[in-house]
Amino acid sequence: MSFRLASGGRIDRSRPLQFIFDGKSYSGFHGDTLASALLANGVRLVGRSFKYHRPRSILSAGSEEPNALVELRQGARREPNTRATTIELYDGLEASSQNRWPSLGFDLLSLTRPLVPFMGAGFYYKTFMWPKRFWEKLYEPLIRRAAGLGRAAGAADPDTYEKAYAFCDVLVIGGGAAGIAAALAAGRSGARVILCDESFEFGGRLVCERREINGEPADMWLASALAELRVLPDVRLMPRTTVFGVYDQGTYGALERVGDHLAEPLPHQPRQRYWQIVAKQAVLASGAIQRPLVFGGNDLPGVMLSAAVRTYLHRYGVAPGRRCVVATTCDDGWRTARDLLDAGVEVVAVVDSRKDLNQALPTGLAGRGPQILLGARVAAAAGGKAVRSVEVIDTSGRIRSLSCDLVAMSNGWNPVIHLTTHLGGKPVWDEARAAFLPPANLPQGLTVAGAAAGDFDLADAIRQGGAMGAAAASRCGFDARPLPKVSTDPEFSTASPIWNPPVVKGKAFVDFQNDVTASDVALAHREGFRSVEHLKRYTTLGMATDQGKTSNLAGHAMMASLRGESIAATGTTIFRPPYTPVAIGALAGHHRGRDFRPIRLTPSHEWAREQGAVFVEAGLWLRAQYFPQAGDRDWLDAVIREVDAVRSAVGVCDVSTLGKIDIQGADAAEFLERVYINGWKKLAVGKARYGLMLREDGFVMDDGTTSRLGEAHFVMTTTTANAVRVMQHLEFCHQALWPHLDVRMVSVTEQWAQFSIAGPHSRDVLRRVVDPGHDISNEAFPYLTARAITVGGGVEARLFRISFSGELAYELAVPAAFGDAAIRALMAAGAPYGIRPYGTEALGVMRIEKGHVAGNELNGQTTARDLGLERMMSRKKDFIGRLTAERPALLDASRPRFVGFRPVDRAQRLRAGAHFVASGRAATAENDEGFMTSVAYSPTLKHWIGLGLLQRGPERIGERLRYVDPLRDTAFDVEVCAPAFVDPNEERLRV
Amino acid sequence: VSELSAWRTVGPWDGIASPGHLGISGETGITISPRHDLALAYVITSDKDQAATAELLLQRLGIELPLKPKATSRGDLTLVWSGPSQWLAVSTQAGLSRRLAEALKGRAAITDQSDARAVLVLEGARVRDALAKGCPVDLHPRSFRSGDAAVTAIAGIGVQLWQAEESDALTVAVARSMAGSFWSWLTHSATEFGVEVLAPAKP
Repeated sequence: MSFRLASGGRIDRSRPLQFIFDGKSYSGFHGDTLASALLANGVRLVGRSFKYHRPRSILSAGSEEPNALVELRQGARREPNTRATTIELYDGLEASSQNRWPSLGFDLLSLTRPLVPFMGAGFYYKTFMWPKRFWEKLYEPLIRRAAGLGRAAGAADPDTYEKAYAFCDVLVIGGGAAGIAAALAAGRSGARVILCDESFEFGGRLVCERREINGEPADMWLASALAELRVLPDVRLMPRTTVFGVYDQGTYGALERVGDHLAEPLPHQPRQRYWQIVAKQAVLASGAIQRPLVFGGNDLPGVMLSAAVRTYLHRYGVAPGRRCVVATTCDDGWRTARDLLDAGVEVVAVVDSRKDLNQALPTGLAGRGPQILLGARVAAAAGGKAVRSVEVIDTSGRIRSLSCDLVAMSNGWNPVIHLTTHLGGKPVWDEARAAFLPPANLPQGLTVAGAAAGDFDLADAIRQGGAMGAAAASRCGFDARPLPKVSTDPEFSTASPIWNPPVVKGKAFVDFQNDVTASDVALAHREGFRSVEHLKRYTTLGMATDQGKTSNLAGHAMMASLRGESIAATGTTIFRPPYTPVAIGALAGHHRGRDFRPIRLTPSHEWAREQGAVFVEAGLWLRAQYFPQAGDRDWLDAVIREVDAVRSAVGVCDVSTLGKIDIQGADAAEFLERVYINGWKKLAVGKARYGLMLREDGFVMDDGTTSRLGEAHFVMTTTTANAVRVMQHLEFCHQALWPHLDVRMVSVTEQWAQFSIAGPHSRDVLRRVVDPGHDISNEAFPYLTARAITVGGGVEARLFRISFSGELAYELAVPAAFGDAAIRALMAAGAPYGIRPYGTEALGVMRIEKGHVAGNELNGQTTARDLGLERMMSRKKDFIGRLTAERPALLDASRPRFVGFRPVDRAQRLRAGAHFVASGRAATAENDEGFMTSVAYSPTLKHWIGLGLLQRGPERIGERLRYVDPLRDTAFDVEVCAPAFVDPNEERLRV
Repeated sequence: VSELSAWRTVGPWDGIASPGHLGISGETGITISPRHDLALAYVITSDKDQAATAELLLQRLGIELPLKPKATSRGDLTLVWSGPSQWLAVSTQAGLSRRLAEALKGRAAITDQSDARAVLVLEGARVRDALAKGCPVDLHPRSFRSGDAAVTAIAGIGVQLWQAEESDALTVAVARSMAGSFWSWLTHSATEFGVEVLAPAKP
């Protein structure tokens, strides 16, 4: 049974398309939406409602659709809650109805309908409160199954998404008559213009109506305007693009559906693209959304917005029914009646609530069939899975029943002002136009034209659009002129909306998507939820994904009347972005999986990968964590091997990730004096020193070694984690605190590949890499020497004799391009000595064995004193954090301080995060005396060791404490010790 | 340096950018030229020394020091504004840092950054369209012309971007360690226009 008209519409009848809905095959045409194609095939029942599982069909022809929500596509591409009215039909499209079980036609949960009187607003709040323990196990799963709409795909999305930026002088939002006029006026002046429309075809209502401009079909005007826009060099037309949000400073969020109209996106193209558009000026020409009437059964399939009926007739060549009752409170309904008759559809009656109306409206209808019922209203629609009749109540109170299969309803229009309120503007009620209009405080640079401004006539839209487009371009410095005046066919757009349903039979829906009825609004009022914000939250009015596009005002107006106040006084809620739902995938764009955030690779990464290294994320960096070998039982085997190599022979580790900051200038030493707690002025050229810096609040910020390469030239190292923060801190100190100091700083982290060569044989290895002529003997190159050398036959390098492992050790820096060559050369040179690469695990083990603090201890809550480093704090100078570090609370003797721990039973494994209580005391928070910050299995000592923070720790060396790990339910005795477990006198460093 | 050395260098794009065609076949909207032939150095001066630095550069190297987000060129040398009193110097000649240090006589701090940045030169009709997928700077020819420079972030990666004087090509410089992630973003963004990747330019 086809409802396709014999001719007409903007569909391409030469391009038929096959599609599947609920497993059944249908055909449509290129240019159809899923909704129009379903209607053309006589399919009306497309889904079940959210709460009551009522049969639902298609209410509208646009993105405001609250009823026709379907699951689009299959498998990993399945998209729930997609509006059939916006789905562009493509060949092979598959969609299914949702929220029904077992089938759309027979839905078991709709059998709850007899219970409906008990399921009004607040039902869940009131019903499922007790017993409390039933909530998680019973009520919530039950409600989740019953309510909710479509199902998410549950599999990774196989398509790609993109983000993009665009810039323009004038952004025009909405490609209807007003928007096209605005784009033309602005574009002609040479301004950079972007014109977005959510549909795949520009024209807005122009392609949905039969209109005339300048005595010709409106299509001629539209075609010529679009042709001109297409050739203007700096005008960008963006169909299928919804501007969904307004943000500060002329930034607009937009979603371009690049490949949604295809089964799969084209090769190398994303499915969707999220645009951030920065516009100097914007013209909002978003049009208006028609308001439904509230009457019993107004959600029945076959009850449709009157303008949507015309859209299906004119744009898609579809008659949405065969026998129509037009129910209207405004002039719009009469246009629908006339267009239906012209399309050969029977119009049973035009029911207009107004008694007096423009005599031009009914002219010509007499004798063509429809009863003209003035001062009458539709009280209820009846039917099962589709409307079969309506009851009309007239002025005398007489009720008559009219048989029909289509109800075209109109209660006037709501300007689409969503974007005007995104930055907090309050809509303004206009009684004459019976609509909320844009707020006075519009987002900066935004003007509103046409129906969005409450001017519903076509001639006004074109005039205003042209004027505003021109004005916007002029404000950007272009010489722009308004468009010439146009004439149109006569138009009538008065409205006298009615807000209160007559005597209601059955459920009269206000919010279709969330199943909020007129009686829910009344209930909210009775129970005291009378502000529009309370009404919204109590009934969920306007809280569905359609954000109440077709429902908000109806609910608010009803509440106004219940409160006995004006709509203006009752007010309205405001809108938030996004205007229509935006997929998270689009917001993420390219940034998923490995591209979630940038990954930084070290200069020896490729070499380490060849060695089978296991990598670990350290901030953005990937670092070699350890180098497993065949036969290893677990990671610990590898780590023990690596530590043993360093302690007994030699190891090499890529430490390029540490922050490196080049500091030059006459005041460089003075600058270091101020940012570090220890002294720098006396550091000799060619020497390195460990430094500690505090934050302004006196807590430790970071540590590292800094070397003096020249009188006025230092290179600072930072921890990997704090590299950026320290650079920012230094820049701040220089620019804001001491701009008069002559200091020039730049990060050189990326320039240098740096390797730690550690172990008793490290010098032997280096001798084979460092060019002859550089004496690196213990005498010529003692501990803490830092000097420029050359390696590998002339490669400029820097050699630092510093040690984190506690062994004789060096750090060799070479330009990053030589990093790969350097690691290979070091490994070759070290082969006779049994050199092994070591990763961050072994690095960590050795620093714990040495009792060096690292990230776990530099946790933002420790002072130099807490960490046992108070002797570094110079008394001869001022430095950042000096005074604040001496606040009484930070000097409190009972503060947890840094010490070492070992299990009394050496077989016990320690875990970081465990707490300490004094022996014999209960493991309670009150008795807590500190916690373990770092632990490691010490291959050197052959048992677990730990570092931690303990109240009065240094005074308690030798004391036994209870180690308590409530997470793993373990507790045993540990012994407090000095933090340096290996070579406490630091003899190995200096050999 | 490298002539003397037996050590082989690895360029930032080695193993990342393979020469050849990417994306839509038969179209080349973008040509990517990875550059391993550039010497880079940071030039940092102070308010006090800036005028002297500019004068020395003009006198000795004949190049204008850009005081706004601009890139100036003279012969093999380009100076790209990088922030207040900071410039990235770019040259196809080795020994750039030494040359600058000698010319500037201590008025500016010179730091070799030749290995710190991974540089790509992008040419073609769709370069700006591809960059728009991550670059928050307006690159429309009306707004970003030859001689313009910007410091920005693309795909979470710090980027220096410039269009050399009298050139249509855009040059981007990113941190060497993030070359792989930048390449992933760039190729993802550019393949719909067709991409020709050239062999890295060697010194």
